[in-house]
Amino acid sequence: MNALKKICESPAVLTLIHYRVVVILVVAVILSASLVPGLTEFRTLSLSLDRAATLGLVAVGLTVVLLLGKLDLSVGSILALSGIAAIGLQPQLGQLGAAAFGVCVGLLAGVLNGVLVVLMQINSLVATLASMIFLRAMCHFVTESNPISGADPLFGLAVSRSLGGTFSLRTFIFLIAIVLLFLWLTYTVAGRHVYAVGSNEDAATASGVRSGRYIFGAFVFSGLMAGTAGVMQSLATNTGSPVFGSTVTLTAIAAVVIGGTRLEGGRGSALGTLGGVLVLAAITTALEYESVPSYYQNIVTGSILLLLILLDRIASNSPRSALSLSSLLPVRSKEQSPAR
Amino acid sequence: MTSAHTLPPRVTDEKRGRKLLGGIALPVGILALLIAGSVLSEQFLTARNLTNVLINMSIVGIIVVGMTFVFIVRGLADLSVPAMVAIGALLALGLQPALGSLPAAMFGVAAASCAGLINGLLIGYARLNPVITTLATGTIVLGVAQAAVGGVIVYGDSPGLQSFLTGRLLGVPVIVLIFLAVALGGHLLLSRTTFGRWVYATGANPDATKASAVPLRFTKGAAFWMTATLSGFSGVLLGLTLQTARPGVGTGYEFDAITAVVVGGVSLLGGFGNMPRALGGLLLVTLLSNIMVLNGIATESQGLVMGALIAAAVALDVYLRRRGGAS
Amino acid sequence: MKSSLHAGAVAAAGALLLTSCGGSGEDSPGAESAEGMDICYVAAAESHAYASPANEAFQNAADELGVNVTLLSQEFDAQTGTDQLRTCIGRNPDGIVLWPLDPQAYIPGLVEAQDAEVPVVLINSPMDEEAEGLYTSFTGPDTYEQGQLAAEVMDEALGGEGSVVIVAGQAGNGTTIGRTGGFHDKLEELGSGIEVLQTVNADFDQQRALELSRDLISQHGDDLDGVYANDDTMARGFIDAWTESGRALEDMPAIVGINGQRDAFASIEDGHYTATIVQSPEEDGRLALETIVAAATGEEVESRIPIPLTVVTEENVAEEEPAF
Repeated sequence: MNALKKICESPAVLTLIHYRVVVILVVAVILSASLVPGLTEFRTLSLSLDRAATLGLVAVGLTVVLLLGKLDLSVGSILALSGIAAIGLQPQLGQLGAAAFGVCVGLLAGVLNGVLVVLMQINSLVATLASMIFLRAMCHFVTESNPISGADPLFGLAVSRSLGGTFSLRTFIFLIAIVLLFLWLTYTVAGRHVYAVGSNEDAATASGVRSGRYIFGAFVFSGLMAGTAGVMQSLATNTGSPVFGSTVTLTAIAAVVIGGTRLEGGRGSALGTLGGVLVLAAITTALEYESVPSYYQNIVTGSILLLLILLDRIASNSPRSALSLSSLLPVRSKEQSPAR
Repeated sequence: MTSAHTLPPRVTDEKRGRKLLGGIALPVGILALLIAGSVLSEQFLTARNLTNVLINMSIVGIIVVGMTFVFIVRGLADLSVPAMVAIGALLALGLQPALGSLPAAMFGVAAASCAGLINGLLIGYARLNPVITTLATGTIVLGVAQAAVGGVIVYGDSPGLQSFLTGRLLGVPVIVLIFLAVALGGHLLLSRTTFGRWVYATGANPDATKASAVPLRFTKGAAFWMTATLSGFSGVLLGLTLQTARPGVGTGYEFDAITAVVVGGVSLLGGFGNMPRALGGLLLVTLLSNIMVLNGIATESQGLVMGALIAAAVALDVYLRRRGGAS
Repeated sequence: MKSSLHAGAVAAAGALLLTSCGGSGEDSPGAESAEGMDICYVAAAESHAYASPANEAFQNAADELGVNVTLLSQEFDAQTGTDQLRTCIGRNPDGIVLWPLDPQAYIPGLVEAQDAEVPVVLINSPMDEEAEGLYTSFTGPDTYEQGQLAAEVMDEALGGEGSVVIVAGQAGNGTTIGRTGGFHDKLEELGSGIEVLQTVNADFDQQRALELSRDLISQHGDDLDGVYANDDTMARGFIDAWTESGRALEDMPAIVGINGQRDAFASIEDGHYTATIVQSPEEDGRLALETIVAAATGEEVESRIPIPLTVVTEENVAEEEPAF
């Protein structure tokens, strides 16, 4: 046991643990590149990224929510409802108008979550569970449970086709969103306040940060991103379906956590989320290419997730791990406010 | 929500009023539903329909008993429930030819229990976040279950056990009796034993608890172990009554259980709530669903009402606590 | 009537052969050119009573011809499926087999496949008219037709009038829409006096069906003349609820299900299950593989190659084989 502890606390191992997202990503990419011929070709890469973009956009929004120590289970339902609006309102608003409205639907759903969590002070897990159920029922209600389709199936191709031989529109939106979020979180005062609120809401409030506003904003942002993802998805498929997005929520949470963001809040980064999304994309590509049944994919994904949160715990428990950011943060906060 | 630093609240008149309101909201809600149901549908207030309500809540009710412990120890929620239900059901039926029906059923519960032990160790002792941990273990366990049966329906071959479980004893459906026994056991464990006191202490104030020699880690881990075991048991019952099982059999049970506990007014913040409340919440949700089906409301649109109900129930709870000076 | 099913299969294969001979000219069609071919198969799921044997038959048929199959499972999520279809196209396979879970959502993907000149064959479920011309062929049973057949049987069983309830699958799912829509449309077409009292969504889940059926029985009870379930699993749920309510099996409403499950056959033999509609998953998978191979080797194939549907009632239950 002591030997194990020693190994765990050796600087080399700690460095590895600190950069675990990078390590896992490199391993996953090498593995899939060796399994899938032509993965490194730009066209294949561009397609894989396009496929990851929907999940990625949702994950970008969730990153901020998780950084603040909250949870948003409703993103899948928001994705579906926004998509339905973007397709269903095309006759009334035109294609671009409906798409814009779809994004607004996501935004409004985010406001609803913000009201529930911040103004009504409902625990975010329960509040977004309620809105998840409510918004999903709304999807079925407005469509009478039938998927709806737009007039022009070719309109949406612009979303998923690569632009001038590079990436697709939604990939660009996803990458830009990641970069902007990274810059905002790292280089602005407001961004750093997010970390402060996430690691200790009370302390942050006491030192003059308006915690409630940040949390409200995070839910609105998360709704906006899920709405954008839903609109993109629905345009790309020319379909608004009440059953879209039913699996995306938990996968997106997994991606964010694999990227090193803690559910307890206060730690994580936008680039980490990019890493998490890419890890999942690389694994999916490799295993699908090998026709590995999807339940084995589940076992692999679940194990990676478990391994990473265990490593995270080891890193933050180790007394000498000055490398680990978490050791600088108040440890108690995670027991007091687990993902409220 | 700054309840983390709550001082022991003084007993004041206002607190008593709040407690009274908090205590009667649920029974009043159930009573209102009973009245509304009998006005809206003449079949509602029949012994047969009310028995159906009881049967319908039994399978998920067993999970609710475990989930209540998770809530009170401040464990947030257990998302691995669907996986535990699935392995319980799959093993109980799949191993029948090899082991016989009763040992197979026990093996199903044991397997879920082992997986629950892993949950308990990781959450209680390694202090990992419960939401993400149970999400990960659930994904793995379900994947293993699917790989084990190769992904097809497993049929059972013991109609004897099935007819016993779906039959009646002294006029009460057996499955309801089993549920009531589990619920009573859970209630006594929570309200009458040292372990029950530990559960409240762990959830109410982790820091003080650590100082007062309450086995914090053990208690928290045990709550998750119990939930997994009960979910596995529930899955076994489900498999035996249906005589078929597939990997997706438990889908949605985690959210159903969470909904019931939340509507019952048990707080996610831990340290508060009891078994009758959680089961009252379950009764309320099941009655509501029953009334909506009896009145022909489309299944998928019922979520509009359910979602609103959850939000309203918790908002009321938060409001009452704030009024009572708890925060 | 096992023989008839086989006869149908032979007929379908024969039709395929005929067309293939007609179209291919001097290229020698068949096994040699199929060897080493890459086929991308976007399946509905891997872990499912119907999809699993269909996938297996697909793989076996491919092994016989020496065709490489990459199988991607949508896990019943159309959104995943649309992405997987695009991934498939990106790999430049010789052909794609798609199991559509939504009548519309794959259309943009099909357009891209056409641009990339990759032939696509739809397996099991149809798509909307707008998709016609974007795929080479659709093989498999028609969920809409199943609904129509179910309506015919129900109409006959009830003598053209009565009250029925529908225990439907997951709302918004393509199969649910086809099977329920076909049922409604056929009743109307027949001018039947049958009234659909209520439709509930039990998500193809026996337990959900059991719980909802308890409420249906409480509400409609003895007024029920018939029950149409989108699959046999959910019909089983209703039957369990019926016996549980203390009613006699003899008084059971007419039950019509789909899929031809083993336990449905047993119930038909016992006389308290009116009919189920059999479709063979093995046939479904094998036919799709053979069709895409034919299409990929440049042969002409029919745009619609059905697999036979058989209505199983008390009269022919002894001669039929359950699908699974």
